[in-house]
Amino acid sequence: MNKTININLGGLFFHIDEMAFQKLKRYLDTIRRSLSDDPKGRDEIISDIELRISELLSEKIKDPRQVVGEADIDEVIAIMGQPEDYVFEDETYADYTRPGSSYSTYNSKKLFRDGDDKFLGGVAAGIAHYFGIESIWVRLAWLVLAFGLGFGFLLYIILWILLPEAKTTAEKLQMEGEAVNISTIEKKIRDEFQDVSERAKRGFDEVSGKVKDSLEGASEKVKEGLKDAKTRVKQDQIKSGLQEFIDVIGKIIATLFSIVGKFVGIILIIVALSTLVGLTVGLFTAGTLDIFGFDWFWLEDANFINTVGLPVWGVSLAVLLLVGIPFLMLFFLGMFILSSRSKTPGRVTWYVLLGLWLITIIALIVFGAKQTANFAFEGYNIENQNINITQVDTLRINMVDNQDFANATYLHNWRNSYKRVLTDDNKNKLYSNDVRLDIRLSDTDSSFVKIRKEAEGINRIVAQENAKKIDYQFNLTDATLNFNGYFLTDFGTKFRDQVLDVSLYIPVGKIIYIDNSTRSFLRHVENTTDIYDGDMPAHYYKMTLKGLDCLDCYSD
Amino acid sequence: MKIENTKAQMRKGVLEYCILTILNNGDAYTSEILVQLKEAKMIVVEGTIYPLLTRLKNVGLLNYRWEESTSGPPRKYYALTESGKLFLKGLESTWNDLVAAVNLLTQNKNTKS
Repeated sequence: MNKTININLGGLFFHIDEMAFQKLKRYLDTIRRSLSDDPKGRDEIISDIELRISELLSEKIKDPRQVVGEADIDEVIAIMGQPEDYVFEDETYADYTRPGSSYSTYNSKKLFRDGDDKFLGGVAAGIAHYFGIESIWVRLAWLVLAFGLGFGFLLYIILWILLPEAKTTAEKLQMEGEAVNISTIEKKIRDEFQDVSERAKRGFDEVSGKVKDSLEGASEKVKEGLKDAKTRVKQDQIKSGLQEFIDVIGKIIATLFSIVGKFVGIILIIVALSTLVGLTVGLFTAGTLDIFGFDWFWLEDANFINTVGLPVWGVSLAVLLLVGIPFLMLFFLGMFILSSRSKTPGRVTWYVLLGLWLITIIALIVFGAKQTANFAFEGYNIENQNINITQVDTLRINMVDNQDFANATYLHNWRNSYKRVLTDDNKNKLYSNDVRLDIRLSDTDSSFVKIRKEAEGINRIVAQENAKKIDYQFNLTDATLNFNGYFLTDFGTKFRDQVLDVSLYIPVGKIIYIDNSTRSFLRHVENTTDIYDGDMPAHYYKMTLKGLDCLDCYSD
Repeated sequence: MKIENTKAQMRKGVLEYCILTILNNGDAYTSEILVQLKEAKMIVVEGTIYPLLTRLKNVGLLNYRWEESTSGPPRKYYALTESGKLFLKGLESTWNDLVAAVNLLTQNKNTKS
């Protein structure tokens, strides 16, 4: 069972089967489009053709109640010929119809706006067609132009106004750079037609389903009388009106959501892209410099903290993967939101990325564990050195720095301040000024300096070895005791949380002067008046049994 | 190169001449022209004719008038214009030249082989 449609063809009236009608319509549309370069003559030609078809059909259909079927249309088409046959080869006619401009069959792309794939005006899609790339890239370029350089918006609007939209099939084909000939036109039309007819069919199915339901419902209620039925119809009308209204509201909301979604997508893309670019540039300059063996100071600095021996480029790569992969996923998510047709990587790629990410995490955990393992144990090395200061009346205590190594204008104890320095004999050393100075009461009459070196390591023995490797010096000249305000370690030992405690032991009654240079190195120096370490320098003290006693402090 | 294309090209080249000749013998409406052309096996399908007729009319070689029909839709009667007659004369001499030339060439070939 098929519906029939009444048509007026060349002034005659026909009942025509729905499928036959569609076939005929498609046939005429194809011909119309194939003649599109001659719009004036086209209508006339089409009406001539319609006239002839009407004549052919009227020969077949004698009874006006008879319906024109698909077979009839097929026969007519067989007589009339395929759309290709309608194109008279133009070479001979181009001369006197339109000199110099026959319709082009070669692939010359033209810039149009693509109304079928538009986000705003279809400019980007048109440009994408012109260059044969995915429209999403052009849209991204627009974003960069718009937000980065500012004139993108203006340029877009100008192009929007200037570029014509590809409306006819020939124009669409030109936009896509396909040859404009019958077969491509027909294919295009067929595609479009199928698209439309499928949508129409779906809509029709839906409607007919609803109609059927309501009919069934109605038949049950027939008994309830005509009056009742009438009110029902009214109700249905109201209902359908309401439904339409809700549909419209729903569409508006959906559009709003899609706009918001697209905005979110754009933001995601921008954030993800900038993060990725930043990461890649930053980490790979670091990484490649290492690979190519550039001896950058800061790189070496980084290397003594990196105690496992993982190369810098390895760390770079790990960080890139760890941070980059999630942002890459965000980027694709943004792309997907922006245009669901954009190419997202396949399932395999996702798994590979996820796998890489997990591997990186595991690697970093292992690396981190190894790194911490190197700090698992503490080790000490203590040595006492006697100093002879019995002849000295007042001992002056100084902190001195190596001017070659220290850049600071004044000597200062920065905790955990380590750096790489180059010694005179051209060796890399690890420099630290984590030196703590204490002044204590000696149990005996003699004076001595106790140097306690402390370091960490993977086990106690290694830790002790590391501690031993600390190189520390002090010297006594005349009445002045010069402590180094720093210590050095072989660079190969690397950073192992090295700390140095220096304690000067002096007997009771000894008078000392604590120089200002010691200010930040003093640690919990016992004294009789509980002076804070920082306030102790630049004063004279006398050692008592209870600690140092300030001789020139005024408690005011 | 497909033989069908070449055949179609040859036929289309002289189609114009044929139509003008038919109309020179008297005014005719589209279907009549078609019937004659089909009888002469000049065309297989009718489609080609419509754009051609319209073009010939648009360049002023033909004009047309409508006539009522008892059996079907109104008919479009085509007639040659003065310039159409001149054009046809030109085509006639060209055609005769062509036929002579082709005959000459094919006969030469026949005698040779």
